[in-house]
Amino acid sequence: MQKDSLWLAVLGEIELSVSRGNYVTWFKNTQLIKHDSESTVIAVANVFIKQQLERKYSDLISETLRKNNIISDKLEFKITAQAGVPRRTKDDEQVTITSAAETPQYREPQAAMPIKAAGNNFSHSYRQGINERYTFDTFIVGSGNELAFAACQSIAQSPGNKYNPLFLYGGAGIGKTHLIQAVGNATLARNPGAKVLYITTEQFVQEFVDALRFRKTADFASYYRTADVLIVDDIQFIAGKEKMQEEFFHTFNAIHQGNRQIIISSDKPPKEIPTLEERLRSRFAWGMSIDMQNPDFETRCAIVQTKAQTHNIVLPNDVVDYLAMNIQTNIRELEGALNQLLAFCEMRSLDPSLSIVTNMLGVNKTRPKHLSAKQIIERTAKHFQIPMEDILGPKRDKDIVVPRQIAMYILRSELHLSFPKIARELGRKDHTTAIHSVEKIEKESRLDASLRSTISEIKERLYA
Amino acid sequence: MKLQVTQENLNRALSSVARVATSKNSLPILSNVLVKTSDNRLSLSATNLDIGITHYIGAKVSEEGSITVPARLMQDFVSSLPAGIINLDLAETKLKVTTDQYQSVVNGIVADDFPVMPAIANGKTWEVPGALLKKALQQVVFAASNDETRPVLTAVILHTFEGHLYMATTDSYRLAEKDLGPNTEDVTLLIPASALQDLLRILGDTTDPVRVTHDDQQVLFQVGDVELVTRLIEGKYPDYRKLIPQSFATQATLKRADLVNVTKVSSLFARESAGSVTIEVDEASGNLSIRSVASQLGENNANATASVIGSGSITLNSRYLLDGLNALSGETVTFGFNGKLEPTLLTDAKAPDYRHVVMPLKG
Repeated sequence: MQKDSLWLAVLGEIELSVSRGNYVTWFKNTQLIKHDSESTVIAVANVFIKQQLERKYSDLISETLRKNNIISDKLEFKITAQAGVPRRTKDDEQVTITSAAETPQYREPQAAMPIKAAGNNFSHSYRQGINERYTFDTFIVGSGNELAFAACQSIAQSPGNKYNPLFLYGGAGIGKTHLIQAVGNATLARNPGAKVLYITTEQFVQEFVDALRFRKTADFASYYRTADVLIVDDIQFIAGKEKMQEEFFHTFNAIHQGNRQIIISSDKPPKEIPTLEERLRSRFAWGMSIDMQNPDFETRCAIVQTKAQTHNIVLPNDVVDYLAMNIQTNIRELEGALNQLLAFCEMRSLDPSLSIVTNMLGVNKTRPKHLSAKQIIERTAKHFQIPMEDILGPKRDKDIVVPRQIAMYILRSELHLSFPKIARELGRKDHTTAIHSVEKIEKESRLDASLRSTISEIKERLYA
Repeated sequence: MKLQVTQENLNRALSSVARVATSKNSLPILSNVLVKTSDNRLSLSATNLDIGITHYIGAKVSEEGSITVPARLMQDFVSSLPAGIINLDLAETKLKVTTDQYQSVVNGIVADDFPVMPAIANGKTWEVPGALLKKALQQVVFAASNDETRPVLTAVILHTFEGHLYMATTDSYRLAEKDLGPNTEDVTLLIPASALQDLLRILGDTTDPVRVTHDDQQVLFQVGDVELVTRLIEGKYPDYRKLIPQSFATQATLKRADLVNVTKVSSLFARESAGSVTIEVDEASGNLSIRSVASQLGENNANATASVIGSGSITLNSRYLLDGLNALSGETVTFGFNGKLEPTLLTDAKAPDYRHVVMPLKG
């Protein structure tokens, strides 16, 4: 099995460097029979393929094998009947399922068994990193995340089948980790033998570095490449790490080729992750990319209520509304505020009420008053690298207008300034300009992830 | 590459190789035919990676070279040219084909990407008369299975048994075996039936001996100027000889044409019932009767005179029966069977080198 997945990784790479027709004809149904320092033996279906591979592709194959840490003196091809039989693909199996009512069975994974082969230096069990607390049941579905939720559920039903890879992106604390962990939990519930690996990119990098240091890269590769479901959190941290990107590329190929599932989360869409290699970028965008939106007001209310319920407390509606209204973007923060409220009430044996929560959040809301309109405008101008005079001046070029509008939006959302005041701060005469700008940015930021991340970056700098 | 060749030769070569070049394959070059000069001859080759065919023809070569060109186009084009001299002239990947009347340019693909025809280095070589091989193929190949899930049964087995060379096929419902006479080589080859169908086409009316060369992975047939190479199927062929009945409770010998006729007529009424016809043999009356019933259409009873030993009845698929009867070519046929579920054997006493077994239908 280890051989299979290694070979799949090799094939995945070869597929990229030869034409489709050549790949299908010469490489598709080949298998790796054995590899050691002496020789690598590859099974092929017939003598035509054998001769063609020997004549035209042996260099390519040896080189790709070398990249995958298979180094042998000789490369041999052997004709076997077995190699001619195409690997059973998912489609084949679906044909044989007669009853449409039946949900597709979880495919017996090719690589499920040989845990020993993977070596014990990776001390994870098969359910690496999966926290049982995160399930679909406790996930609250709202308009911003219903698509992601549906996709994840469908993946948990039959991993590797559709939406492969699944790429979830969105801001901090809106439930990405919860959802992707829930896929892991649901998959394990359906098939306890599945190899479900959850790993943050940071951990992944760390383990890879260790593997390099202790010369265990082959073990590292085979461990991750044989996962049935590989969940990688916060992939944006892979940016700029070239060797890591290469390793992840091979892992990705091996898993994807084997019709096994890959789930990736990130805080921005693939095309906005800086210094991400093009081949990874295109692969991430290959299956399904879903933008997870900030929860809307109703969803936030539902979240507050559900969380309170788990503590066996029913909150008055006005308290729920207040919490949901005041903490808009980050569910983690929302949960924190709720926990703080509940702890406060419990300690003093009070019932949660609007006055308590207002008091508390008033304190909690550390959004500093000392932030001035000027600072905001300065920060925004600096972010876009335009001079203050321009943003305050009369210019109407697009690259000035957008930062100006963003500045207005931030003034409104952070300092709650009135529209006429916002207009004045930016040297505009008419307050309707400010109204239009704020509305525009509000609307666009809901659709445009990059705009959203720009705004949050500016905000972060402001409070930093 | 620059040469002259006659239209007749080129057309003949194209028609024997072009069929193998399939457009089904995802690799474009495999729908091409390789045109190559070698030793003052011209070779045309095509392959579908299961079999490869090369046809050599005489040509007046003034410049060596090779190119691959679309098989279909080339064949259609050359076959519609008038008889006479054709000039082939290659510039880069464009093959100029000129005759007195026509000037065409066919865009090709460089020959370097074309798969190499496998050579058999350390093989055994023996010969078999062309006419005999052809007859055997006609009698045997059709009974091979086309169920790819049991690859062994899609093969024709060519093997030596007690000093004779035998060719046999079975799809597990019927079985055909031909004795090709004494053979000194000890061989067991499982050859894909589809490849042998192509060989049958190539054999034509040849009376020359066919050279067979094989190792344990492939077999090469040389028929005059044509070479056909195919992979061998791996596996162990079932011991089919055990299935051929040796003695019979009931046996009828009659004119083959008579049995063919009554079976054909009966099969008309057997279309609903998967071709099921029931044959009854009665020793007392020396009669063979065949019956088929179609609930919608009606029913049929037909009789033929036969010399009979023992009485009994058996139900067969009329299509298999007809195939078997057509594979036999003699005047008479001997029809022998035992119980209702036992195999039935068709033979011709005058040509004991061919045996055909048909399994009965249940109930």
